Amino acid sequence: MSSATTDQATGRYARSMTALLRGTLRLDVWINRVYPTDFNPLYYTGGLSNLFLLTLVLSGIFLFFYYEASLGSAFASIQYLTERVPYGGVIRGVHRYAADGFIVGILLHLFRNWFTDRYLFARDNPWISGMFLLLFAGFVGVTGYQLVWDERAQLLTTLVVAMLYSIPAAGQGLVHLLLGGVGVSDTTLVRLLYLHIGPASALYAFLWWHYLRLRHPKIWPPGVWTLFCVGLVFLLAGLIPVTRDAIPPSSPAARPTHFPMDVFFMLPFWFMNILPAGGVVALLVLLFVGGLAIPYLSRRETPAQMEVRHAGVAQVVDGNCTGCELCYYDCPYNAIVMVPSPGRGLTKAAANRTLLAVVIESRCVECGICIGACPFEALELPKLMERDVLNQVSLAMQT
Amino acid sequence: MTEPTVVGFICDWSVDLKPLSEGGHLRELPHVRIIRVPCSGFVRPSWLEETLTRGAAGVFVTGCPYGDCLNREGNFLMRDRIEQLHRRLQRRKVDPARVAMLAFGLHDGPGFLAQVKAFVERIASLPAPAPARGGRPTVAQPAGASEGDAS
Ligand code: HEM
Ligand code: SF4
Ligand code: SF4
Repeated sequence: MSSATTDQATGRYARSMTALLRGTLRLDVWINRVYPTDFNPLYYTGGLSNLFLLTLVLSGIFLFFYYEASLGSAFASIQYLTERVPYGGVIRGVHRYAADGFIVGILLHLFRNWFTDRYLFARDNPWISGMFLLLFAGFVGVTGYQLVWDERAQLLTTLVVAMLYSIPAAGQGLVHLLLGGVGVSDTTLVRLLYLHIGPASALYAFLWWHYLRLRHPKIWPPGVWTLFCVGLVFLLAGLIPVTRDAIPPSSPAARPTHFPMDVFFMLPFWFMNILPAGGVVALLVLLFVGGLAIPYLSRRETPAQMEVRHAGVAQVVDGNCTGCELCYYDCPYNAIVMVPSPGRGLTKAAANRTLLAVVIESRCVECGICIGACPFEALELPKLMERDVLNQVSLAMQT
Repeated sequence: MTEPTVVGFICDWSVDLKPLSEGGHLRELPHVRIIRVPCSGFVRPSWLEETLTRGAAGVFVTGCPYGDCLNREGNFLMRDRIEQLHRRLQRRKVDPARVAMLAFGLHDGPGFLAQVKAFVERIASLPAPAPARGGRPTVAQPAGASEGDAS
């Protein structure tokens, strides 16, 4: 590709991202008319995802105690749970609908953070960990549907096996690993149970990574939204029982060819209607790798190209820093660390300090929030210094 | 022009100023001067005090709607800091109504203008401020220390 066409492509990408940003904020204007901004659900998509995840974990623990991982009794154990255990059916419904809410929440979260440029520059850590959260969440959803071991699960397993087989070289081995042998057996369900719960637990490890560079992440939505979401999930579970689809149990003789779709988790399998298994695998890999590359791919991702201010990484003025830690508490990206002071400061306030603030450059997004936090004039944005601001104030006062 | 000057520190990412401003002031309210900042949280409360000291009748900071700060916390932190500043101003017998925090998004131009107008009118109704005392001395203000203790 010639550089001219790259520029054009970059221009188109930049323009569409700008349009998406404006569109997202336009949507906010409408939502903020209905809810006060403190309650705009789109401001709390991460918290909403986290809420649904907790609902899933709690209801999942309940389901786990009744589940039997063998070909003969998996379906029966779930049927028993649904029909005989008090509120068992409701809890199962909660688990199902909270999973849908979880995926909707994650996708809203992903698109919002994408469209509002919250993955840029030094902000890539939550984005990259987020892609892993998405991958694992999708995987956990599929193994969840397989655990039921009805005809849908059977067909899903066939499709998963076909997808694995299509992977060059490793395919056969992966199938063997998944099924725990050459064919489906009791071992398969034990493995599926593990592949459901293991990656679900791993989500919490990824969440730790996700929050690593975020100070005070807003991990819960406002209280009313918590009540609303949990209430909605219970209401749906009561009104639309998950047994409504009435899928018969899996049997070796059955040759299911279609199943009721859950668009949130089974979209990849729908693509198998139009693509070969290998194509679907390639598509998924492409989406994942593309997602990982989003913060780095486009040449738009420099401040100059985006026509945004490039104020420079915050700098500590060593002589003035008193080690008061205010900047450390306020930096939203954990970019400031306090280290034992190597020597005395120059000003009176800084003379007896024990700590010194240090900015970790690779984490700093150049927001300047630490500047506002520091009462001792010990922090500066190199391209917008206190001096420059006060000059502008003087200028404003002159006319 | 008799209207007293008001200075607004406005975040790059909040309200779209292109249609509202020209030459560093608001088109409809030429006595409202504008200083653009990378984030509302960048503004040091001492600069707001300083702006009043240099003779401005009022000063305000504008960030994005609460919850939507690009830098996650800038507007919340600024709101808190301005509350602290209000208490400090009260102790110094300066009317806290002269300092305000606003929160408006890219497309909230009309709402922003309306609130700035209300702010300006409120200030106009206050008794006249102490006459300008020129710039502050160059050494760090000890006032900053008390802010540190307060939080
Ligand atoms: C299990 C699913 C997820 C949960 C529970 C979750 C939760 C959260 C929470 C609580 C925050 C902090 C928000 C704040 O305080 O400002 C956050 C931030 C973020 N998340 Fe997620 N997240 C999930 C998945 C994802 C995914 C799939 C992506 C995108 C690939 C993503 C991208 C981000 C980004 C870029 C931020 C930083 C936002 C900022 O700097 O303002 N997350 N997430
Ligand atoms: S400018 Fe300051 S507050 Fe903002 S990310 Fe950098 S160190 Fe943190
Ligand atoms: S706020 Fe200022 S004085 Fe306090 S630790 Fe940070 S840089 Fe040092």
